[in-house]
Amino acid sequence: MPTTIWPSIAAAIANSPHTAHSPMQWDPASLLLNRFGFGDQPAIRAELAGYGYDGWWARQLAAPTGYAAQPEIAAHGSLLGLTPKDVRAWLKANGNEYGWELMDQLTEVTLGMQAWSPAQLYESVVDFFANHLNVANHSDAVWTCRHTMDRDVIRRYAFGSFTDMLLASAKNPAMLQYLSLAQSSKTAVNENYGRELLELHTVGVGNYTEDDVKNAAKVLTGRTTDADYNYVYKSTKHWVGPVTVMGFSHPNSTAADGEAAGDALLRYLATHPKTASRLAQKLCVRFVSDTPTPSLVAAVAKAYTDSGTQILPMLSVIVRSAEFWTSRGAKVRRPLENLLATVRIFGYRPGLLTKTLPTLHWMSSSIGQVPLDWSPPNGYPDVAGSWRSSGTLLNLWEYHRGFAQSWWDGFDTIDLTTLYGSPAPTTSGAAIRALCVRLAGGPLPAAHQQALQTFLGEPASTPLTKSALRWYLGHLVPLILDSPEFALR
Amino acid sequence: MTDKSTPPSGDALLTPPTGDALLRRQATRVRSELCAQDASWQGGWTRRTFLAGLGMVGVAALGSQLVTTRAAYAAPGTSNGNTLIVIFMRGAADGLRILVPNSSALGLDYLKTVRPQLIPASLSPLSGTPGWALNSALAPLLPFWTTGELAFVPGVSTAGISRSHFQAQSYLERGSDTSTTGWLDRALSQLGPGTTFRAVAEGATLPAALAGEQTKLVVDSLKNFVFPGWSGVAPQSETAIATLYRGLSGPLGEDVPATLAALATAASAQAKAGVRNGAVYPSGNFSTALKDLATLLRAEVGVQVATVDVGGWDTHTDEVNQLDRNLGSAAKSLAAFLTDLGPDRRKRVTVAVVTEFGRRVAMNASGGTDHGHGSVVWLLGGGLAGGAVHGRWSPLAADTLDSGDVPGVNEVFDVLGELAQKRLGVGSVSALFPGHSFSPLGVAKAVTLPMPPQPPVKVPLRRGPIPR
Repeated sequence: MPTTIWPSIAAAIANSPHTAHSPMQWDPASLLLNRFGFGDQPAIRAELAGYGYDGWWARQLAAPTGYAAQPEIAAHGSLLGLTPKDVRAWLKANGNEYGWELMDQLTEVTLGMQAWSPAQLYESVVDFFANHLNVANHSDAVWTCRHTMDRDVIRRYAFGSFTDMLLASAKNPAMLQYLSLAQSSKTAVNENYGRELLELHTVGVGNYTEDDVKNAAKVLTGRTTDADYNYVYKSTKHWVGPVTVMGFSHPNSTAADGEAAGDALLRYLATHPKTASRLAQKLCVRFVSDTPTPSLVAAVAKAYTDSGTQILPMLSVIVRSAEFWTSRGAKVRRPLENLLATVRIFGYRPGLLTKTLPTLHWMSSSIGQVPLDWSPPNGYPDVAGSWRSSGTLLNLWEYHRGFAQSWWDGFDTIDLTTLYGSPAPTTSGAAIRALCVRLAGGPLPAAHQQALQTFLGEPASTPLTKSALRWYLGHLVPLILDSPEFALR
Repeated sequence: MTDKSTPPSGDALLTPPTGDALLRRQATRVRSELCAQDASWQGGWTRRTFLAGLGMVGVAALGSQLVTTRAAYAAPGTSNGNTLIVIFMRGAADGLRILVPNSSALGLDYLKTVRPQLIPASLSPLSGTPGWALNSALAPLLPFWTTGELAFVPGVSTAGISRSHFQAQSYLERGSDTSTTGWLDRALSQLGPGTTFRAVAEGATLPAALAGEQTKLVVDSLKNFVFPGWSGVAPQSETAIATLYRGLSGPLGEDVPATLAALATAASAQAKAGVRNGAVYPSGNFSTALKDLATLLRAEVGVQVATVDVGGWDTHTDEVNQLDRNLGSAAKSLAAFLTDLGPDRRKRVTVAVVTEFGRRVAMNASGGTDHGHGSVVWLLGGGLAGGAVHGRWSPLAADTLDSGDVPGVNEVFDVLGELAQKRLGVGSVSALFPGHSFSPLGVAKAVTLPMPPQPPVKVPLRRGPIPR
């Protein structure tokens, strides 16, 4: 049975079965904000209520792009607007020409934007494509230019066309360094980029031959960087002669026109139906479930092709599908998603950025998910099975306690009693229920509510004025964040 | 969560069981067989008690918490009780200042012309070799040469390794350029189900060699592998979390109970920690990681593979001091580890020390060396064809080098594959290193021991059983 795609988000919500994957319960706001965003917040729920789901979505699409939606975080990235040459000059002037400041700043700004940018949909899409066209930050030869991939490619085209994004990535110094295209020439063709272009960036494995890889690598020779890590096309390094890659052929007869021949190949690949279905599959895994139905994937792929490789129409199909709205609980939060959702659900503000951003950086490192730092070219894995680690669980449980109990320097101190909301609960049981609604998007199943009650060691009817919560609130709150209702999304 | 084997279309009854469902059924069988096996190791523990205790805190005894994983379902457990520890020296350690070709036949004369200052002033000749000698910073390891518990392979690399740290490390750990999981993860999947502690990564994060679907423990330090926050509410918190996850399917439904169970095991092991046999560990994280591993190994918690990362080998400058300080510390730590385990226990433990690539043969202008190619693998512990330098060697000379570097005349995957095969009992080496044509060098002896008993370790429960 094909998945129904409704004409509007509101219609999809109204007409989809109001179900979720156990133990989660139907909660469209939580679902939306934890899939097309980095976590739920009361203020955003209020926006959803005020503008309606379609209105909220439209406002997200109209949000400022780049880093502009969160000026405070953007200002922390003082090097991110510079050219690679100016970055290097700054590094040299500040003591170490080969320092990691730019790469660290990019990591920290990315974390800050994910945690605190109001443009949550944009940040989610940026994160997806940064992984799809992965260039490992903190890798060789990108210490002055890694930010250009983020600024001039991913963020620039995240709400635009994938063809434009791919064309820009194939002229980006960080990408060219990372996948060795900068070192490739007609006399020593390096196949690294050509292979990943076919395998990862576009059509996917199984759709091309080794000769296709070689020909793709040949037609892209000449794309390199100058000594300042700016992109240049050097026709003297370009391999000349006819090439065939899958269904694409080009005479590639002059070195002067070699760059255009490469662009023609990139356009062919971007518009290939296999690229459409591959992108659609990955987007559905990212936003819907680890095992999306072929019918949803096909509908998303069709939107890509029909729109001339635009990215937003694919998202629009997903968010108007019944399959999306019935998927709450189908995804496990990856470690960083869990951490950021914790920061967001408490309503922590950016605080003292010179402390809070490095704190988020080391935390993301200890749970193995520093944004942009996945070293191989395939991007961070997106399915639950790839993230199994006891150490990570213990670390996340530690961070739940640390944020509930305001351990970390530079962040606000949280008054946990404000989480009760109004009207204020008067009994222990009502208090637990209010906390679950506030932190996990709804009351927990009875057995889980009872587990929390047992933790307090008192009946649900205990008046709040006499409850153990007077002392144990800071120890009960993290348990709600440890629960499957928070670990899933 | 809903059963993922059920198609969302709703006509589940018309659909034949998927691969997933079949695997799950097999898993149940494998799991109960192993439970029975484990029950017999547990002395007084009956099988029923153990089954009831699956996934519950504080009930299952040390080392018996079964971890089943998707990939492990197909093959029953084949653990032979051995442990393979892979130590990764990150940054590319200079093999030529570790294991020195100290004779004309091996190329010493050439070495004297291009890096005279980097030939160690003090060398310990390795008996029975055509002139190999150890940097004397490694002297603490020499007793194990005599007992056949130390061996080396020089000139090690593999096709596809570049001179980029990141690419080379990633390639080595994944075992090919096409794999998205780590080679040790694929080794685990062949070994079938094991205990919670079957794969231990000492360090802050999971190394790429262990990336994949097999459950593993990343242990920053055994001392810190505890429930976080105020210990006054830890038992109640663990109880609450166990209840919250009871009956949950999916990875978290397995991992949360396993983690909670591992806490008790780790605490029990830690309670019995203590250095034995007069071993003396130097200070430092690497040393502490090895001490933790010795504690876990002695506690027989079922460690099959373990990884330890140690950095600081990228000696572009002042190599003599920088490298020898690190080597001295590493050698003392490894010697303490082997001594601590004792002669009997370490028969079942094999250590491979690897690095991403070697360094340039010629010294650079800063008293250091730049990125090179062929490196040295160190092998320590039980089951080795020890007291030997294995593999081929191309005597150093201007015309035998690979772009100024030690050529990779021995395949690193041949060494690691042989250890996985002979020590762990992994059946298919080609699955570990796709595309690599396996040709063992004879560094290890095949496992001839019968499966050793996992001694029933009686562990006092750290905390009371969970009320149901």
